[in-house]
Amino acid sequence: MAKVEIVVNGRKEAREVEDRTLLVNFIRDTLGLTGTHVGCDTSQCGCCTVHMNGRAVKSCTVLAVQANGADVMTIEGLARDGELHPVQRAFTECHGLQCGFCTPGMIMATVGFLKDNPNPTEDEICKGLEGNLCRCTGYINIVKAVKRGAELLQK
Amino acid sequence: MGDHLFEVDGVHVSRLEDLRLITGAGTYAADWNLPGQLHAHFVRSDRAHAKIVSIDTTAALKYPGVAGIYTGEDAVRAGYVRGVTFLNFKGKNDMEGRIPERPAMAHGRVRFVGEPVALVVADSALAAQDASELIRIDYRDLPVVIDPEAAVRPGTAQLHESVPENTPFEYEAGDKAATEAAFAKAAHVTKLKMESTRVVPNPLEPRACLIAHDPKNESYTVHVCIQGMNMMKRQLSAYTKVPEDKLNVIARDVGGGFGQRSTAYPEYCAVMIAAKATGRPVKWVSSRTEGFLSDTHGRGNIIEGELALDKDGRFLAMRLNWLADMGAYLSPAGPVSHIRNPTTCLTGVYKIPALYGYWRLAVTNTAPIAAYRGAGRPDIAYAIERLVSNAAAELGIDAAELRSRNFIQPEDFPYKTPTGTTYDNADLPGVLAKALELADWKGYTQRLSATEKTGKLRGIGISTVIENTGAGMYPKDEVELEVGKDGVVTLYTVAKSQGQGHETTFAMMAAKVLEIPAERIKVVQNFNDRALIGNHTGGSRSMVGAGTVCHIAAEKLVQHGKSLAAEALGIEPSQVSYGAGEFRGPESGMKITLAELAQKREVKIKGEGTFGTTYPNGCHIAEVEIDPETGVTDIARYMTVDDCGVVVNHAIVEGQMHGAVAQGAGQVFGEHAIYDKESGQLMTATFSDYFMPRAGMLPDIVMAEHATASRINPLGIKGMGESGCTASLGALVNAVIDAVRPLGIHHLDMPLTPAKLWTEISAKRGTARA
Repeated sequence: MAKVEIVVNGRKEAREVEDRTLLVNFIRDTLGLTGTHVGCDTSQCGCCTVHMNGRAVKSCTVLAVQANGADVMTIEGLARDGELHPVQRAFTECHGLQCGFCTPGMIMATVGFLKDNPNPTEDEICKGLEGNLCRCTGYINIVKAVKRGAELLQK
Repeated sequence: MGDHLFEVDGVHVSRLEDLRLITGAGTYAADWNLPGQLHAHFVRSDRAHAKIVSIDTTAALKYPGVAGIYTGEDAVRAGYVRGVTFLNFKGKNDMEGRIPERPAMAHGRVRFVGEPVALVVADSALAAQDASELIRIDYRDLPVVIDPEAAVRPGTAQLHESVPENTPFEYEAGDKAATEAAFAKAAHVTKLKMESTRVVPNPLEPRACLIAHDPKNESYTVHVCIQGMNMMKRQLSAYTKVPEDKLNVIARDVGGGFGQRSTAYPEYCAVMIAAKATGRPVKWVSSRTEGFLSDTHGRGNIIEGELALDKDGRFLAMRLNWLADMGAYLSPAGPVSHIRNPTTCLTGVYKIPALYGYWRLAVTNTAPIAAYRGAGRPDIAYAIERLVSNAAAELGIDAAELRSRNFIQPEDFPYKTPTGTTYDNADLPGVLAKALELADWKGYTQRLSATEKTGKLRGIGISTVIENTGAGMYPKDEVELEVGKDGVVTLYTVAKSQGQGHETTFAMMAAKVLEIPAERIKVVQNFNDRALIGNHTGGSRSMVGAGTVCHIAAEKLVQHGKSLAAEALGIEPSQVSYGAGEFRGPESGMKITLAELAQKREVKIKGEGTFGTTYPNGCHIAEVEIDPETGVTDIARYMTVDDCGVVVNHAIVEGQMHGAVAQGAGQVFGEHAIYDKESGQLMTATFSDYFMPRAGMLPDIVMAEHATASRINPLGIKGMGESGCTASLGALVNAVIDAVRPLGIHHLDMPLTPAKLWTEISAKRGTARA
């Protein structure tokens, strides 16, 4: 067992976890934040994407103990004071989600990607989303949502 | 009805369900938890075909935290040995379907890699998984049968004693003699053997269930991913003999379906056994690899097709020999959907005087096959559209012209096909004309020469398709409306969105009649305190069925409300008018709102409707560029013209089309569930081994509508959730074959991977050089 202290969505969480606990399981099972999803076992789908110290990471590839002392943000922490993040707005306005299962990871990945590249081309968006799978949308409206998100962020 | 953004809690959203889904507040199957719950882990067969000699659970039972271990013996003891298979019609020569038993966990014999053999429940998921590794199973291997063509050959090892020649069912449709006669006098016959490859549906949410047993009344609460609660209850009840009213099925958000979610899987029944035995709720969450191994797969059809034409290119007859791989056991929907859907649209969009098809189902040592987006419709459309384009190329007739020459004409509708189907309405020449214009069909040669200058290959492909949508297994669809004291109308339906957006579109249907904002209508798709008859969401039926009933129920609510309002206002019902949530009497000031009425008394009404099958249709045109140096195909342009009748929400229709075309393109260019033929191991059981479409695979699709109103649906609506799959397989493969035909390649089976195309192109070019 290991003791970890992780700030999640602005709240310090001090817990004892099994050494092998993945960050995603810490978030979902220990803290009960179920907005972060698990869609595969091989780190391909990106459904579990969260931010760790401001960078998008797949929380299924990080051990909870590796996140000790880190600042983690999940989809639940993205909207501030009831105000949606521009990328969240863009996803709904562009009908960039259907079943919604990949959506939290898609949105967190997009927010991270737009930090690195605030004004991406369509090709850059597609490369930027290579690590996130969606089975419903054919990605067409997701690409539009990322573009729209970039516009809204610059406003 | 048009598109607009709705306003929920001060936020503009394109769908009423979006707000919770973009903020992480959705509730999927794995998100439920109950106090005192145990966690389940399945031990799955690592053999494709073997006798189970012994199972030793001694060490595993001693592992800390383990609460119980269950095996096939427990499944047999419980009587959970046979799920439902909807094969309720007779086959060739009055053959009855041979439906083998499938205990909820394998008993005595395993028949595919991934079949559940034992279930461990423990205090944590990790403990259950750890303990499962201590279970010792001794197997004695049996011959492995993977290839469906080999499976049905005499002398091949048999999977089930009750299924001779591994053939559970044979079926024929059409007129064999007339078809033979037509072929005998044909000026030209085109032939192709085509495979609609086995693929894995892979909704992004892995399957999961959380089941609690209540010994007081012998009932179960089943949190699970579904496509509709009635179908889940019916199938679970058939498997376990627990009456439907003792099964409380709970689902909120479902992370994709595509046909894979309609089955009551054996795992759920096994978890019911554990929940009852331990007296505690038991939660199981599938891993992705378990999903690859044990979720139902899709397609898996080998189709030999022949099309006979006269000297003018008119179709005389078509003949199909269809072998459908069903996997190791018959799923609920696999047999019927892979026979009935192709039979229903056997003539495609063409006048073909003589048709004959022979279907044979095969069992193999692979995961069971069930419905996958289109469920036989994409397969039949693919076969026909490949044959037509192949004939056009062989005869040197323009592929669009050959189609046009053989279309069922607008004045022929309603059109009775040679296999007894009645297509309700379509304007196929109109659809084609619009598509050719949209695609700039005439300008193709210029684009071709531009591509040729770059050293790449270019091809154009077309498919014109029709498919059956709307009908369901339940005799009618019911929708209940109940007005709350705050005037919010709750709409109860048993159709269940897995991403289709019922909370928006169903609300829009009722809102239009009630003249109130859709935001004031709350759609509830899962409940156990009231019984409604109706179909699950699948087969592109929900807007045609339940959605239309939302309209009917709202009209009924207005009528019912008028009589209640008359009473409240002390006037005759005929004196009451309704508009925008308000009932008004003849004098000014004489009025009562829906909310005020509901405060006085219960305002509740049930609407119902039964509609037959309606036939959306369309034309898709694709252009591809292939780099001969790498074999990589780029989809350069993709155009669709669809007739899905009256459209309720254009954004959602477009989204459905995007997703379905992407799934079609996935199957065409990469997706393939590959079993090793000797060991029976699934070689593509992770997202690193199985091709999944990614962003950028499809260009933005250029779409247009060409609606004719359905004649069987009172609002003119046709289904459309699957048509993108149905049309895209043919359009894309035809485009690739058009590109490589100058090299002498007239057919390649999916998936058209870079490796396959590079190999074929290089071989042909090498031959040409030599």
